[in-house]
Amino acid sequence: MKICVCVKHVPDTAATIKLAGDTAFDDADVKFISNPYDEFGIEEAVSIVEKEGGEVVIVTIGKEAATSTIRSAMAMGAHRAIHVKTDGQFLDSTLTARALKAVMEEDGLPDLIFTGKGSVDTESFQTQYRLAKSLGLPIVNEVSTLTLEGQKAIAQREIGGGEKQVLELGLPCVIGATKGLNEPRYPKFPDIMKAKKKEIKEMALSELGINEADAKVTMEKMEAVPERSGAKMIEGSVDDQVTELVRILKEEEKVI
Amino acid sequence: MAKSLYFNKEHDLVRKAVRDFVNKEINPHVDEWEEKGIAPLHDIFKKMGELGFLGIRYPEKWGGEDLDYWHEVVVLEECARIDCGGVPMAMAVQSNMATPAINDFGSDYLKETYLKPALKGDMVAAIAVTEPDAGSDVAALKTFAKKEGDHYVINGSKTFITNGTQADFLTLLARTSDDPGYHSYSLFAVPTDLPGFSISKKLDKLGMRSSDTAELFFDDMKVPAKNLIGVEGEGFIHQMMQFQHERFSIIPMAYVWSRRMIDLAVEYAKNRIVFGKPLIKKQVIRHRIAGWLTEIECLQQLTYHIVRMKMAGQDASKEISMAKLKGGELLTQVADGCLQIHGGMGLMNETRISRMYRDCRLMAIGGGANEVMSDVIANFSGL
Repeated sequence: MKICVCVKHVPDTAATIKLAGDTAFDDADVKFISNPYDEFGIEEAVSIVEKEGGEVVIVTIGKEAATSTIRSAMAMGAHRAIHVKTDGQFLDSTLTARALKAVMEEDGLPDLIFTGKGSVDTESFQTQYRLAKSLGLPIVNEVSTLTLEGQKAIAQREIGGGEKQVLELGLPCVIGATKGLNEPRYPKFPDIMKAKKKEIKEMALSELGINEADAKVTMEKMEAVPERSGAKMIEGSVDDQVTELVRILKEEEKVI
Repeated sequence: MAKSLYFNKEHDLVRKAVRDFVNKEINPHVDEWEEKGIAPLHDIFKKMGELGFLGIRYPEKWGGEDLDYWHEVVVLEECARIDCGGVPMAMAVQSNMATPAINDFGSDYLKETYLKPALKGDMVAAIAVTEPDAGSDVAALKTFAKKEGDHYVINGSKTFITNGTQADFLTLLARTSDDPGYHSYSLFAVPTDLPGFSISKKLDKLGMRSSDTAELFFDDMKVPAKNLIGVEGEGFIHQMMQFQHERFSIIPMAYVWSRRMIDLAVEYAKNRIVFGKPLIKKQVIRHRIAGWLTEIECLQQLTYHIVRMKMAGQDASKEISMAKLKGGELLTQVADGCLQIHGGMGLMNETRISRMYRDCRLMAIGGGANEVMSDVIANFSGL
């Protein structure tokens, strides 16, 4: 079985982001990680292939520096990777999905595709749907349990209120992975060493006939979130304090 | 950053792997282990062994990873991010204190029986050298191993033995002759499930509380002769060489912990307002910290110099002794100073600095006290 896992190289959510100009941030000193939801996809793909045989191919669309994220995925057990290099920090979901589709068609369509349920940087939650649509494949997002039975995938997802939905899809299909699907493994040292010898096929976005300038969504402006103002002390008698609190909640914060 | 002069992307992956493991599998349990006075080493080492963390420099044939000293430094630096001293010390005993001599001088039988399971995390190891009357003065030890046929019969006692209540085997130094001089000792791999071995008690300590430290007794304990490590009579020499690995393994802890304690103190001093200003604005505090940071940088660079010497196959015994001495002094000084910055809060066991202060103190004593290191350096310098 051939499984493709789409992996995004994202800034650590704990990183302090400093803006650089109107539409970019300074990424030189920011720690980048694999998108955490994608790691559930990598783990699931590697586990399936360990049991059933086949190969796991990582597909990453991102800047040169994304190589470290790709090597991490390989240390977890992925066999090879395709890295489509971009120049900009952001690529809209439409172009990302087009690039993923083009790569997979060129490499040979997989039997199963994993993505994360979304990426923790832009949180657009669109790429996996666009990819599935463009390939004409079924998709379930936010999958927390997955079983394969022959040419079928049985996927479970939580739909709120403690309820779970169980869906059956024919293969090939796209699975958006989320927490609960598995516990991503720690890479073993021998696998880390092997990872550096595994093949990463590199290509430019333009080689796939895609121009970053054709994005349908463009970044207009990035702004820092204003710092929260300090606590406000309400003085006076208990009655006064309660009255003032209610007034603030109603008139200033408009929460009641 | 200077770091990139020494470490490449592969090292970064190793660093990340160990850091993730420490953050997820170790640190969440440290408070509980400190409270209990023991950490479940069989469980911890099994997990670490499966990932290959215990045998960085050891040959693949014996379950190691065949990597170099740079990788080892990365692992030691990351293990120093554990929120107590006891657990990284247990790990260092397993990989750097009790097993190097088996790898360097032991027979294939000993490597198969003890080294391999230790590196895989199936056995817990301890190093049994110190005795009630023989600490840094190793040659004063009295435990005796008398050869009788195909066995050695061991009598004596060992104390302050790290991992002592959980160890499956000990790398033990004993006298095999009453003759004076350094050629009267031998090193053994001693399984702890043989008759005549007993753990007299788990010792109660100022710091390193999650580490089980024990007093061990040997009463006519018969150990097969094939458990002799290396050459009979050369145990002292073997152990002195093993000590170099032990001392080296402690050094990264010294600069990583010194920085971590400063981070805690700075964080506290930023928020602590005294006489209307944050404490960190006081010049005396700023200069004191700047001085420590400078010394930490020196120690770290000396460590990397030692790694380069080791990689080039040079003897770094003098430099390791210098770094161990400096590390012991620096940790004690920085721990004291950082606790001072915390004021009364520093005495509260709920603050992290309090535990670090207690755990740091060992560095100037264990693996050869500061004074012994000074003597070694003096000897190397022809004084």
